[in-house]
Amino acid sequence: MVDLTVDLGKFKIANPVMTASGTFGYGFEYKDYYDLRELGAVVVKGIAVKPSHGNPTPRVAEVTGGMLNAIGLQGPGVDKFLHGAEYMPFLRQSGATVIVNIWGKSIEEYCEVAARLEAEREGIAALEVNISCPNIKEGGIAFGTDLKLAHKVVSEIRKITTLPLITKLSPNVTCIADFARAVVDAGSDMVSLINTLTGMAINIETRRPYIANITGGLSGPAIKPVAVRMVYEVAQAVDVPIIGMGGIMSGEDAVEFLLAGADAVAVGTAIFVDPYTPLRVIKGIQEYLEIHNCKSVSEIVGAMEKP
Amino acid sequence: MKTGEIVSNRVLQDEYYEVKFYVPEICRKTCAGQFVHVKIANLKDRILRRPFSISDVSEDGILTVVYKRVGKGTETLSTLPAGTVCDLLGPLGNPYSLPENDEFPVIIAGGYGSAATYLIAKNSPAKGILLLGARSKNDLILIDKFTAAGFDVRTSTDDGSQGHKGFVTELLDRVIDENKDKKIRFYACGPTPMLLALAKMFQDRGCNDAELSLDHLMCCGVGACFACVVKVKADNEDGWRYARTCKEGPVFNAGVVYTGE
Repeated sequence: MVDLTVDLGKFKIANPVMTASGTFGYGFEYKDYYDLRELGAVVVKGIAVKPSHGNPTPRVAEVTGGMLNAIGLQGPGVDKFLHGAEYMPFLRQSGATVIVNIWGKSIEEYCEVAARLEAEREGIAALEVNISCPNIKEGGIAFGTDLKLAHKVVSEIRKITTLPLITKLSPNVTCIADFARAVVDAGSDMVSLINTLTGMAINIETRRPYIANITGGLSGPAIKPVAVRMVYEVAQAVDVPIIGMGGIMSGEDAVEFLLAGADAVAVGTAIFVDPYTPLRVIKGIQEYLEIHNCKSVSEIVGAMEKP
Repeated sequence: MKTGEIVSNRVLQDEYYEVKFYVPEICRKTCAGQFVHVKIANLKDRILRRPFSISDVSEDGILTVVYKRVGKGTETLSTLPAGTVCDLLGPLGNPYSLPENDEFPVIIAGGYGSAATYLIAKNSPAKGILLLGARSKNDLILIDKFTAAGFDVRTSTDDGSQGHKGFVTELLDRVIDENKDKKIRFYACGPTPMLLALAKMFQDRGCNDAELSLDHLMCCGVGACFACVVKVKADNEDGWRYARTCKEGPVFNAGVVYTGE
């Protein structure tokens, strides 16, 4: 029998498959599809201090092998998230392992939302610090593409909470390993990667961009090779758990990330294709481990053979 | 998620098609105004589902979708022969509320909005009126089905090729006038500018008995991704918020739709 549990240092998860922030709502939206406890963790859509409208529409465009999005972090704000029935109270009751993705327009805002969650932390397994959303001008990616700011925001949040911190890294940088080192040095307990790659698509008849924001984040199977490469680079650079994501559609895709050095994985865009994808990925990983006579997930983490 | 085998797939008229899926579980739950999210088989290089209004359901498990060939997804769908299996999620979204026994339904449909409103006509206790507008007479679809359901169908076209020349909304005042003695319930589906104009009109007249089906480019279909949002009134400093048409809609009361800039 294969042991699917993964020890992420500060906490354990029942299996290595999470949902990528922004692709699974707040869990509530999928409650009728399956028991959320079947997932390694539910990573909720980004939470900020205040409610936010997000970007104008159109917000998404389909492209070859994936999609562009510029949702712009529409969200309820931390108050409603903590107390609205369909958010944290629902998640606590669901028994799911919950990771709360947080963002802000300034270091103060990141710290405020972290403090609010720390104060009512029951049922929260970890915070994922989003310093990599490409679709909002202030905050988000501004912190994820500047080494000093990345270090600063994580170290300030670290002072506020003892919750495990996962920092979500942007692929829109020259050397992602440098950013992994910076945030780990600042106190991040683990890293997750990759967020979306900035992209663009133009309607050649109207000569207008397909997305109102002009640019958007590219996700889906089109980005998987880039994501696997970046997980591999980060795994060489830091000694903390890595959550790998980017275009995972199947168990085979997930195994690639694990071999490249990820301790766990997240499924994102594939959930839009099929809400049951995370469960299929869990099953696919389990089958791979059985076929290859592995007793646990950790046996294949970073187990890529050099050419 | 249910797999649905295509039972038939044929040209309705011009660029409009009618596809029938065998999906008894979805049919049993379907109400007027809901949609199915379809993973179109054999679609090359594209991975996302496409949402389609449910045009009709039958007791023997056949779900009908009427669609126009407009892009890669619907082009591929139009080529799928009977026997092809697609994944369908649904029924999704909030439905129209059907007319009460004492209510008289007036449906305002633009383009293939008639497909999304047919189940109202089919299931309404009273036989009402369909105001159907489109670009040209080849774009006026499902008139026969509404007529067979006992509805009085009045048409308009932009080019005057059939019915009134102009907007379908211009037919509305006369219908309201003719039925002053009745308790009218309005239903609408069509292009967003038409629906926003109707929302404003109903709001100006203080009419609360109007339901509009709004949508926008959709992605997950279940409320998770926040792609398909439209503005609705809200009690905040801006007076509006973005609501997900897949989850909070697609049917909204005309009174909640935000019609400002």
